[in-house]
Amino acid sequence: MKVSFPYMGTTVIYKKLFELLDHEVIEPPVPSQRTIDLGVKNSPEFACYPLKVILGSYIEAIELGATTLITSGGHGPCRAGFYGETHYRILKSLGYDIELIVFDAYKRDITGTIKNVRKILNGKSLGYLWKTLKIVYLMAKSMDKIEKKIQKLRAYETYKGSCNRAWEEIQKIYDSVKSIEDIVNAELQSKAILDNIKVIEVSESERIKIGIVGEIYVVMEKSINLKIEEILGAMGAEVERSQYISEWIDYNLLPRWVSKPYELEILKKGEKFIKEIIGGHAKQTVGHIVDYAERRFDGVVHLMPFACLPELVSQSIIPAITKEYNIPVITLPIDEQTGLANVQTRIEAFLDLIKNKKRIRIA
Amino acid sequence: MKGVFLGIDVGSVSTNLVAIDKNNNILSSLYLRTNGQPVEASRIGLRKLYKEFEGRIKVLGVGTTGSGRQLTGIMVGADVIKNEITAHATATITYVPGTRTIFEIGGQDSKIIILKDGMVTDFAMNTVCAAGTGSFLEHQSERLGIPIEKFGDMALTAERNVRIAGRCTVFAESDMIAKQQFGFSKAEIINGLCEALVRNYINNLGRGKKLEPPYVFQGGVAANKGIVSAFEKELNHKVTVPENYGVMGAIGAAVLARELIERSGNSTKFRGFECAELEFTPTSFVCNGCDNACEVIKIVMDGKIVAMWGDRCGKWTNSIII
Repeated sequence: MKVSFPYMGTTVIYKKLFELLDHEVIEPPVPSQRTIDLGVKNSPEFACYPLKVILGSYIEAIELGATTLITSGGHGPCRAGFYGETHYRILKSLGYDIELIVFDAYKRDITGTIKNVRKILNGKSLGYLWKTLKIVYLMAKSMDKIEKKIQKLRAYETYKGSCNRAWEEIQKIYDSVKSIEDIVNAELQSKAILDNIKVIEVSESERIKIGIVGEIYVVMEKSINLKIEEILGAMGAEVERSQYISEWIDYNLLPRWVSKPYELEILKKGEKFIKEIIGGHAKQTVGHIVDYAERRFDGVVHLMPFACLPELVSQSIIPAITKEYNIPVITLPIDEQTGLANVQTRIEAFLDLIKNKKRIRIA
Repeated sequence: MKGVFLGIDVGSVSTNLVAIDKNNNILSSLYLRTNGQPVEASRIGLRKLYKEFEGRIKVLGVGTTGSGRQLTGIMVGADVIKNEITAHATATITYVPGTRTIFEIGGQDSKIIILKDGMVTDFAMNTVCAAGTGSFLEHQSERLGIPIEKFGDMALTAERNVRIAGRCTVFAESDMIAKQQFGFSKAEIINGLCEALVRNYINNLGRGKKLEPPYVFQGGVAANKGIVSAFEKELNHKVTVPENYGVMGAIGAAVLARELIERSGNSTKFRGFECAELEFTPTSFVCNGCDNACEVIKIVMDGKIVAMWGDRCGKWTNSIII
């Protein structure tokens, strides 16, 4: 079977998993205007933006020959839980005869998960699968570590784009790893590349740190979030996201006796403002804002797909957090619109506000 | 020869230019229609200013703002290129000290800016919809056959209250038509519209924010007395409209340029009024260097490439050596 998956963030990692299981992997193209157009055209008008873009990605992957699409399921009472079924039905009505494998939270559906695992196992032993998962997990950890460094460096690069070029190069290095040893080497090579990036020295007190929170897809996938990390970086701000793949694995896949994910801490921090998990990432969003405030970040950018219910709830909680923790937060709804002017203006003004605030605090 | 600082605000609907002296006195201000041609509008403005002063002034600094700030900034050689939120706030703090809340409604966007001790502490800008901005009012004035200049005065003559849905321009328009059929006068409809816009604006942008007086209302729409009185009614408090309400963005840009020049002691990068006569062509092309296929903007001035942007990798941006 020819396998593909939704395009989100560092896709080398998902690719690696299926490659190691000896599947033929069809990498979906980076979401482009065409992807968005395809998705929008074939989705219900009121569906959320991630559903539309992912649908577009699926169609493009099928055009390239994919016969099996593999994705994770949503959990909690938000529309994301229906993505798999909705996508499947739309694709079917478009005449695409494919298989869609949805991995829902295994703790809730053990038999379903076992069935799905059998499908992707490709005749391999469970022992081999375990080894593969370990490699992929360590690779995700390692890549996230490097990406976090880049998100800081980008604010100070002397030549615009040198961090982006380095990241492209690094992803290629990781693309060829096959063992844990390879990962260690890839990390060393990547660090060497980063050390070669020319940067401007900025004193600690003048550094600006921004956290990015919100719904996972718009936070992780830069081709649809107006490259918000790069916009902030170009204006001299270090960024950190609320979502990284390895952290997602920590929270969603690993048994609790293996790791105690940071996300549990985050959820606890949000408890005060929102008790229930209302679906999507609303509770995480709230928890992360509190977390960033406690870690003395200078501000938070909150991304939400236009009309996303969970994030609308978190948006309405934000004023209370801002008041209590005195941290500026700006919410940007993300939709098809690709015009940068409006976002650029708001981010610029937001950073002006932060700089002024910082100046007063220091004085 | 008097030293002046220029501020240029290139918006979607209007392009404004002001000249201030070092004590922030406004020597001249221009309000022009952009007509979809930001470069042309700035050129006309520069020519007019030049004519007005005929060599009696020396430009010490220039600032640009508004959605066309980047392009115009390159054309004139601006010292400061700033977003309109910071520019508006700067102007208001300078001319109406002590302001806590700024309402700004322009041609295609509207903002609320919250200040404390002369510092922006929070702001909001309309995102998805132009309901409640100047363009919508203008459209309705055309439909009702009443010139936009008379809109406000007419609203004040309304005798009865009409409630019009302000959530969306489409709903507002069908509501207005329905109320017309009921026999309400034009003045009453217009008044209802003004109130709906203000209600929508405050619900939308002011959500979750504490709006503290003193209030200042600026932007092109502040010319509309109907809206001003609707604001006062909604907030139950006086709302100040500054003298130069229509060109506050440009004033802010000029003040920011003055502050920068005075702080840094540098001389201005202004290309001189002649820049209005130079050939200036913005073009764009799709770079095929990689899969990203970025749309790169290229600005050619007098046969020379002066700026490029839009490329993710920096290949083109970095190729310009100034």
